[in-house]
Amino acid sequence: MAGISTHVLDNYTGRPGAGMRIDFSARQKDGSWKLVKTMTTNADGRTDGPVLAPADAAVGEYELAFHVADFYAPRGTSIGDPVFLDRVVPLRFSLFDVKQHYHVPLLCTPWSCSTYRGS
Amino acid sequence: MIDQPLTRRSFLPAGLALGGIGLQLAGVSALAADAPAASAPGGLTAAPTSMAGVSPRLTVHAIDSFHGVTGAGLKIDLSRFEGDAWKPLKSVQALGGGRPADPLLLGADYTPGRYEILLHLDDYFAAMNAKLPTPSFLSKVPLRFTVIDATQRIHVAALFSPWGYSYYRGS
Repeated sequence: MAGISTHVLDNYTGRPGAGMRIDFSARQKDGSWKLVKTMTTNADGRTDGPVLAPADAAVGEYELAFHVADFYAPRGTSIGDPVFLDRVVPLRFSLFDVKQHYHVPLLCTPWSCSTYRGS
Repeated sequence: MIDQPLTRRSFLPAGLALGGIGLQLAGVSALAADAPAASAPGGLTAAPTSMAGVSPRLTVHAIDSFHGVTGAGLKIDLSRFEGDAWKPLKSVQALGGGRPADPLLLGADYTPGRYEILLHLDDYFAAMNAKLPTPSFLSKVPLRFTVIDATQRIHVAALFSPWGYSYYRGS
């Protein structure tokens, strides 16, 4: 299946990142970002539907903006120190071949995050 | 496919702009253009330097985990969120060790706030002559973080490849 999907893993607890808000945007020709939709991760840390369906896939740059501060704040994370990540962490990446699928996960703690082209 | 040969011309403007560090950047150019010396890949000739105990500051370090070298030559932009927009503060370039010559922020300039470090991975991997699709999966990567307590030193460590990256509060 082509298109875009994502997955949030909370490496602070070792659990799926459930209930995290994600804003999905597409880069416009003039360089600006256009919000396509806002989603919330389900109990498995995934979105219920595709981030971008195969039929909508187009070559270009996209952004997944993860609201990590809102995610950690109500969990009473005993961080002890100031958090490091900004309140919203944007991941920006490009689709270069619409026949391929792009799985772009976020692994995060209050002090770190990583992403990669997954599968 | 990005298939432009790396020439010294690619790094010449940076070398000129940065004056005294041109020699180190010339080393980067040689690494990418020619076969790297097996005994000393870029920037990996010395043990890490501890920054324990230095005054509060913002520093950054970038490692190219695709080639197994430091991110020498990588262009880095620093911005701070002010009002309702990201305001550019400075643009620097990583030297041979993967770090810019100076701290990003030091002394009175180092204040609490929301910050963004933008890594120009597209230009970097093009200069390294990496064979990547067009557009490349990653191009200009924003690393966003906060400085809440400016009495604490913040070191942003970034590991990157054309297909993924991570960053964390380092030491």
